[in-house]
Amino acid sequence: MSMESPLHHFELHPIIPMSVMGLDISINKAVIAMWIGSAVIFGVFMLVVKGGVSLIPGKVQSLAEMILEFIGGMVEEFIGEADRAKFLPFIASLFLFILACNLIGLIPGSYTITSQLVVTGAFAVGIFIMTLVIGFGRHGMHFLSVLVPPGVPKVMIPLMIPIEIISMLARPISLAVRLFANMTAGHTVLAVLFGLAMSSPLWVGWLPFGFTVIINGLEIAIAIIQAYIFTTLTCVYIGDVIKLH
Amino acid sequence: MRNKSGLSQGLSIAFRFGIEMAVAIGLGGLMGYSIDYFSGTRPWFFVAGVFLGGAAGVLNVYRAAQEITFEDDDGPNDQGDPTS
Repeated sequence: MSMESPLHHFELHPIIPMSVMGLDISINKAVIAMWIGSAVIFGVFMLVVKGGVSLIPGKVQSLAEMILEFIGGMVEEFIGEADRAKFLPFIASLFLFILACNLIGLIPGSYTITSQLVVTGAFAVGIFIMTLVIGFGRHGMHFLSVLVPPGVPKVMIPLMIPIEIISMLARPISLAVRLFANMTAGHTVLAVLFGLAMSSPLWVGWLPFGFTVIINGLEIAIAIIQAYIFTTLTCVYIGDVIKLH
Repeated sequence: MRNKSGLSQGLSIAFRFGIEMAVAIGLGGLMGYSIDYFSGTRPWFFVAGVFLGGAAGVLNVYRAAQEITFEDDDGPNDQGDPTS
Protein backbone atom coordinates (compact mmCIF):
# COMPACT_ATOMS: atom_id res chain seq x y z
CA MET A 1 0.00 0.00 0.00
CA SER A 2 1.47 3.34 -1.00
CA MET A 3 1.35 6.19 1.48
CA GLU A 4 -0.18 9.42 0.32
CA SER A 5 1.23 12.74 1.38
CA PRO A 6 -0.89 14.19 4.20
CA LEU A 7 -1.02 17.45 2.28
CA HIS A 8 -2.35 15.72 -0.83
CA HIS A 9 -5.99 16.44 -0.09
CA PHE A 10 -5.37 20.21 -0.13
CA GLU A 11 -4.45 20.06 -3.82
CA LEU A 12 -7.02 21.31 -6.27
CA HIS A 13 -7.67 19.88 -9.69
CA PRO A 14 -10.15 21.41 -12.12
CA ILE A 15 -13.33 19.39 -12.54
CA ILE A 16 -14.74 21.51 -15.34
CA PRO A 17 -11.81 23.35 -16.99
CA MET A 18 -12.74 26.84 -18.10
CA SER A 19 -10.77 29.91 -19.01
CA VAL A 20 -11.77 33.39 -20.06
CA MET A 21 -9.12 35.44 -21.87
CA GLY A 22 -6.29 33.43 -20.37
CA LEU A 23 -7.79 33.69 -16.89
CA ASP A 24 -8.27 30.29 -15.29
CA ILE A 25 -11.80 30.11 -13.85
CA SER A 26 -12.11 26.32 -13.78
CA ILE A 27 -14.69 24.83 -11.47
CA ASN A 28 -12.94 22.74 -8.83
CA LYS A 29 -13.78 21.20 -5.48
CA ALA A 30 -13.20 24.45 -3.60
CA VAL A 31 -15.63 26.38 -5.77
CA ILE A 32 -18.28 23.72 -5.30
CA ALA A 33 -17.69 23.68 -1.51
CA MET A 34 -18.11 27.45 -1.51
CA TRP A 35 -21.40 27.17 -3.42
CA ILE A 36 -22.65 24.55 -1.01
CA GLY A 37 -21.63 26.75 1.94
CA SER A 38 -23.61 29.72 0.73
CA ALA A 39 -26.49 27.48 -0.34
CA VAL A 40 -26.71 25.94 3.15
CA ILE A 41 -26.81 29.35 4.85
CA PHE A 42 -29.29 30.70 2.31
CA GLY A 43 -31.44 27.58 2.64
CA VAL A 44 -31.54 27.65 6.45
CA PHE A 45 -32.54 31.29 6.58
CA MET A 46 -35.05 30.90 3.71
CA LEU A 47 -36.61 28.09 5.73
CA VAL A 48 -37.07 30.61 8.56
CA VAL A 49 -38.54 33.34 6.40
CA LYS A 50 -40.65 31.10 4.13
CA GLY A 51 -43.14 30.02 6.78
CA GLY A 52 -43.63 33.65 7.75
CA VAL A 53 -41.89 35.22 10.73
CA SER A 54 -44.14 34.88 13.73
CA LEU A 55 -44.12 36.79 16.97
CA ILE A 56 -43.85 33.56 18.93
CA PRO A 57 -40.86 31.88 17.26
CA GLY A 58 -40.81 28.21 16.43
CA LYS A 59 -37.74 26.00 16.75
CA VAL A 60 -35.92 27.06 13.58
CA GLN A 61 -36.85 30.69 13.98
CA SER A 62 -35.61 30.93 17.55
CA LEU A 63 -32.33 29.30 16.51
CA ALA A 64 -31.89 31.87 13.72
CA GLU A 65 -32.84 34.70 16.09
CA MET A 66 -30.38 33.42 18.68
CA ILE A 67 -27.53 33.38 16.15
CA LEU A 68 -28.34 36.87 14.89
CA GLU A 69 -28.69 38.22 18.45
CA PHE A 70 -25.30 36.72 19.30
CA ILE A 71 -23.65 38.39 16.30
CA GLY A 72 -25.58 41.60 17.01
CA GLY A 73 -24.19 41.65 20.54
CA MET A 74 -20.70 41.27 19.13
CA VAL A 75 -21.25 44.20 16.74
CA GLU A 76 -22.64 46.36 19.57
CA GLU A 77 -19.75 45.54 21.86
CA PHE A 78 -16.90 46.24 19.46
CA ILE A 79 -18.31 48.70 16.90
CA GLY A 80 -20.98 50.56 18.82
CA GLU A 81 -24.74 50.46 19.19
CA ALA A 82 -25.30 53.32 16.74
CA ASP A 83 -23.77 51.34 13.87
CA ARG A 84 -25.41 48.01 14.63
CA ALA A 85 -27.93 48.15 11.80
CA LYS A 86 -25.27 49.23 9.32
CA PHE A 87 -22.71 46.49 10.01
CA LEU A 88 -24.83 43.56 11.21
CA PRO A 89 -25.62 42.25 7.69
CA PHE A 90 -21.96 42.20 6.67
CA ILE A 91 -20.66 40.73 9.93
CA ALA A 92 -23.44 38.13 10.08
CA SER A 93 -22.84 36.98 6.49
CA LEU A 94 -19.11 36.79 7.13
CA PHE A 95 -19.52 34.75 10.31
CA LEU A 96 -22.11 32.37 8.90
CA PHE A 97 -20.24 31.82 5.63
CA ILE A 98 -16.93 31.06 7.34
CA LEU A 99 -18.67 28.86 9.90
CA ALA A 100 -20.53 26.95 7.19
CA CYS A 101 -17.37 26.46 5.12
CA ASN A 102 -15.36 25.33 8.17
CA LEU A 103 -18.03 22.82 9.15
CA ILE A 104 -18.57 21.52 5.61
CA GLY A 105 -14.84 20.83 5.43
CA LEU A 106 -15.18 18.40 8.33
CA ILE A 107 -17.38 16.06 6.32
CA PRO A 108 -15.00 13.38 5.00
CA GLY A 109 -14.38 13.76 1.29
CA SER A 110 -15.44 17.38 1.08
CA TYR A 111 -13.15 20.39 0.87
CA THR A 112 -12.29 23.14 3.38
CA ILE A 113 -12.00 26.37 1.42
CA THR A 114 -10.69 28.21 4.48
CA SER A 115 -7.58 26.01 4.31
CA GLN A 116 -6.56 27.99 1.22
CA LEU A 117 -4.56 31.13 1.98
CA VAL A 118 -6.01 32.79 -1.14
CA VAL A 119 -9.53 32.60 0.26
CA THR A 120 -8.75 33.87 3.77
CA GLY A 121 -6.33 36.41 2.28
CA ALA A 122 -9.04 37.74 -0.02
CA PHE A 123 -11.37 38.13 2.97
CA ALA A 124 -8.69 39.88 5.03
CA VAL A 125 -7.59 42.23 2.25
CA GLY A 126 -11.22 43.12 1.55
CA ILE A 127 -11.79 43.87 5.23
CA PHE A 128 -8.58 45.92 5.41
CA ILE A 129 -9.60 48.06 2.42
CA MET A 130 -13.06 48.41 3.95
CA THR A 131 -11.62 49.72 7.23
CA LEU A 132 -9.50 52.25 5.30
CA VAL A 133 -12.56 53.43 3.32
CA ILE A 134 -14.66 53.70 6.51
CA GLY A 135 -11.85 55.54 8.33
CA PHE A 136 -11.27 58.11 5.59
CA GLY A 137 -15.03 58.46 5.04
CA ARG A 138 -15.76 59.18 8.70
CA HIS A 139 -12.77 61.27 9.65
CA GLY A 140 -11.31 62.60 6.39
CA MET A 141 -7.62 63.43 6.58
CA HIS A 142 -7.88 63.42 10.37
CA PHE A 143 -7.87 59.61 10.04
CA LEU A 144 -4.09 59.72 9.58
CA SER A 145 -3.83 60.49 13.30
CA VAL A 146 -4.40 56.73 13.76
CA LEU A 147 -0.69 56.44 13.01
CA VAL A 148 0.25 58.44 16.12
CA PRO A 149 -0.98 56.90 19.37
CA PRO A 150 -2.17 59.44 21.95
CA GLY A 151 0.30 60.58 24.58
CA VAL A 152 3.43 59.96 22.50
CA PRO A 153 6.25 62.50 23.04
CA LYS A 154 7.13 64.56 19.93
CA VAL A 155 10.63 63.06 19.75
CA MET A 156 9.21 59.57 19.37
CA ILE A 157 6.81 60.39 16.52
CA PRO A 158 9.25 59.63 13.63
CA LEU A 159 9.88 56.23 15.23
CA MET A 160 6.23 55.53 16.02
CA ILE A 161 4.91 56.14 12.49
CA PRO A 162 6.77 53.24 10.81
CA ILE A 163 5.98 50.99 13.77
CA GLU A 164 2.28 51.85 13.54
CA ILE A 165 2.29 51.34 9.76
CA ILE A 166 3.83 47.87 10.16
CA SER A 167 1.46 46.99 12.99
CA MET A 168 -1.50 48.11 10.89
CA LEU A 169 -0.40 46.16 7.79
CA ALA A 170 0.30 43.10 9.94
CA ARG A 171 -3.34 42.94 11.03
CA PRO A 172 -4.90 41.62 7.80
CA ILE A 173 -2.00 39.21 7.31
CA SER A 174 -2.32 37.75 10.79
CA LEU A 175 -6.10 37.61 10.35
CA ALA A 176 -5.72 35.59 7.16
CA VAL A 177 -2.86 33.39 8.37
CA ARG A 178 -4.60 32.52 11.65
CA LEU A 179 -7.71 31.05 10.02
CA PHE A 180 -5.73 29.37 7.25
CA ALA A 181 -3.13 27.87 9.61
CA ASN A 182 -5.70 26.55 12.08
CA MET A 183 -7.76 24.84 9.42
CA THR A 184 -4.76 23.45 7.52
CA ALA A 185 -3.09 22.18 10.70
CA GLY A 186 -6.23 20.44 11.90
CA HIS A 187 -6.87 18.72 8.59
CA THR A 188 -3.23 17.69 8.23
CA VAL A 189 -3.36 16.03 11.66
CA LEU A 190 -6.53 14.24 10.64
CA ALA A 191 -4.95 13.09 7.38
CA VAL A 192 -1.81 11.80 9.13
CA LEU A 193 -3.81 9.88 11.73
CA PHE A 194 -6.11 8.44 9.12
CA GLY A 195 -3.12 7.46 7.01
CA LEU A 196 -1.70 5.61 10.03
CA ALA A 197 -5.01 3.89 10.64
CA MET A 198 -5.28 2.76 7.02
CA SER A 199 -1.70 1.56 6.63
CA SER A 200 -1.45 -0.48 9.81
CA PRO A 201 -3.01 -3.87 10.57
CA LEU A 202 -6.34 -3.89 12.32
CA TRP A 203 -4.99 -4.82 15.77
CA VAL A 204 -3.13 -1.45 16.06
CA GLY A 205 -5.11 0.44 13.43
CA TRP A 206 -8.08 1.01 15.73
CA LEU A 207 -5.96 3.28 17.93
CA PRO A 208 -5.19 6.05 15.39
CA PHE A 209 -8.69 5.63 14.01
CA GLY A 210 -10.13 6.35 17.45
CA PHE A 211 -7.95 9.44 17.66
CA THR A 212 -9.27 10.55 14.26
CA VAL A 213 -12.78 10.46 15.68
CA ILE A 214 -11.77 12.39 18.82
CA ILE A 215 -9.83 15.00 16.89
CA ASN A 216 -12.72 15.41 14.48
CA GLY A 217 -14.79 16.42 17.52
CA LEU A 218 -12.08 18.88 18.55
CA GLU A 219 -12.04 20.22 15.00
CA ILE A 220 -15.74 21.09 15.25
CA ALA A 221 -14.93 23.26 18.27
CA ILE A 222 -11.99 24.83 16.40
CA ALA A 223 -14.18 25.52 13.36
CA ILE A 224 -16.63 27.45 15.54
CA ILE A 225 -13.91 29.24 17.57
CA GLN A 226 -11.98 30.29 14.46
CA ALA A 227 -15.10 31.65 12.75
CA TYR A 228 -15.86 33.53 15.96
CA ILE A 229 -12.31 34.92 16.30
CA PHE A 230 -12.24 35.99 12.64
CA THR A 231 -15.46 37.96 12.95
CA THR A 232 -14.60 39.37 16.40
CA LEU A 233 -11.32 40.73 15.08
CA THR A 234 -13.10 42.15 12.03
CA CYS A 235 -15.43 43.97 14.43
CA VAL A 236 -12.47 45.17 16.52
CA TYR A 237 -10.68 46.53 13.46
CA ILE A 238 -13.81 48.31 12.17
CA GLY A 239 -14.48 49.64 15.67
CA ASP A 240 -10.90 50.95 15.92
CA VAL A 241 -11.20 53.10 12.81
CA ILE A 242 -14.64 54.38 13.80
CA LYS A 243 -13.71 55.33 17.36
CA LEU A 244 -10.16 56.47 16.46
CA HIS A 245 -8.57 56.06 19.91
CA MET B 1 -21.64 29.41 20.96
CA ARG B 2 -18.23 30.02 22.47
CA ASN B 3 -16.30 27.02 23.65
CA LYS B 4 -15.33 27.77 27.24
CA SER B 5 -12.98 24.84 27.63
CA GLY B 6 -9.85 26.19 29.33
CA LEU B 7 -7.21 24.31 27.39
CA SER B 8 -8.46 24.97 23.87
CA GLN B 9 -9.18 28.62 24.68
CA GLY B 10 -5.72 29.08 26.16
CA LEU B 11 -4.15 27.37 23.16
CA SER B 12 -6.04 29.56 20.72
CA ILE B 13 -4.94 32.68 22.62
CA ALA B 14 -1.31 31.55 22.68
CA PHE B 15 -1.43 30.67 19.00
CA ARG B 16 -3.01 34.02 18.20
CA PHE B 17 -0.25 35.99 19.93
CA GLY B 18 2.46 33.90 18.33
CA ILE B 19 1.10 34.57 14.85
CA GLU B 20 0.69 38.27 15.66
CA MET B 21 4.37 38.54 16.65
CA ALA B 22 5.74 36.44 13.78
CA VAL B 23 3.72 38.25 11.12
CA ALA B 24 4.82 41.69 12.34
CA ILE B 25 8.53 40.74 12.40
CA GLY B 26 8.24 39.09 8.99
CA LEU B 27 6.46 42.07 7.50
CA GLY B 28 8.95 44.56 8.95
CA GLY B 29 11.85 42.52 7.65
CA LEU B 30 10.25 42.17 4.23
CA MET B 31 9.59 45.90 3.95
CA GLY B 32 13.17 46.69 4.95
CA TYR B 33 14.50 44.07 2.57
CA SER B 34 12.53 45.47 -0.35
CA ILE B 35 13.77 49.00 0.37
CA ASP B 36 17.31 47.59 0.38
CA TYR B 37 16.65 45.66 -2.82
CA PHE B 38 15.61 48.75 -4.75
CA SER B 39 18.08 51.24 -3.28
CA GLY B 40 21.08 48.92 -2.91
CA THR B 41 21.76 49.76 0.72
CA ARG B 42 21.88 46.17 1.90
CA PRO B 43 21.63 45.28 4.78
CA TRP B 44 20.80 48.40 6.73
CA PHE B 45 17.09 48.88 6.06
CA PHE B 46 16.56 45.14 6.54
CA VAL B 47 18.09 45.31 10.02
CA ALA B 48 16.07 48.40 10.91
CA GLY B 49 12.94 46.77 9.49
CA VAL B 50 13.32 43.65 11.64
CA PHE B 51 13.67 45.78 14.76
CA LEU B 52 10.72 48.00 13.84
CA GLY B 53 8.71 44.89 13.03
CA GLY B 54 9.57 43.45 16.44
CA ALA B 55 8.39 46.66 18.07
CA ALA B 56 5.16 46.54 16.04
CA GLY B 57 4.68 42.91 17.03
CA VAL B 58 5.07 43.72 20.73
CA LEU B 59 2.59 46.57 20.28
CA ASN B 60 0.06 44.29 18.58
CA VAL B 61 0.42 41.56 21.20
CA TYR B 62 0.11 44.15 23.96
CA ARG B 63 -3.11 45.49 22.44
CA ALA B 64 -4.55 42.01 21.89
CA ALA B 65 -3.69 41.01 25.47
CA GLN B 66 -5.35 44.16 26.75
CA GLU B 67 -8.54 43.28 24.90
CA ILE B 68 -8.59 39.82 26.45
CA THR B 69 -8.14 41.07 30.02
CA PHE B 70 -10.93 43.55 29.35
CA GLU B 71 -13.22 40.74 28.24
CA ASP B 72 -12.55 38.79 31.43
CA ASP B 73 -12.82 41.71 33.83
CA ASP B 74 -15.86 43.79 34.59
CA GLY B 75 -15.82 46.35 31.83
CA PRO B 76 -13.48 48.50 29.77
CA ASN B 77 -12.82 50.87 32.70
CA ASP B 78 -11.16 48.17 34.76
CA GLN B 79 -7.46 48.76 34.29
CA GLY B 80 -6.57 45.91 36.60
CA ASP B 81 -5.56 48.28 39.40
CA PRO B 82 -4.63 46.07 42.38
CA THR B 83 -5.43 48.78 44.93
CA SER B 84 -9.07 49.15 43.91
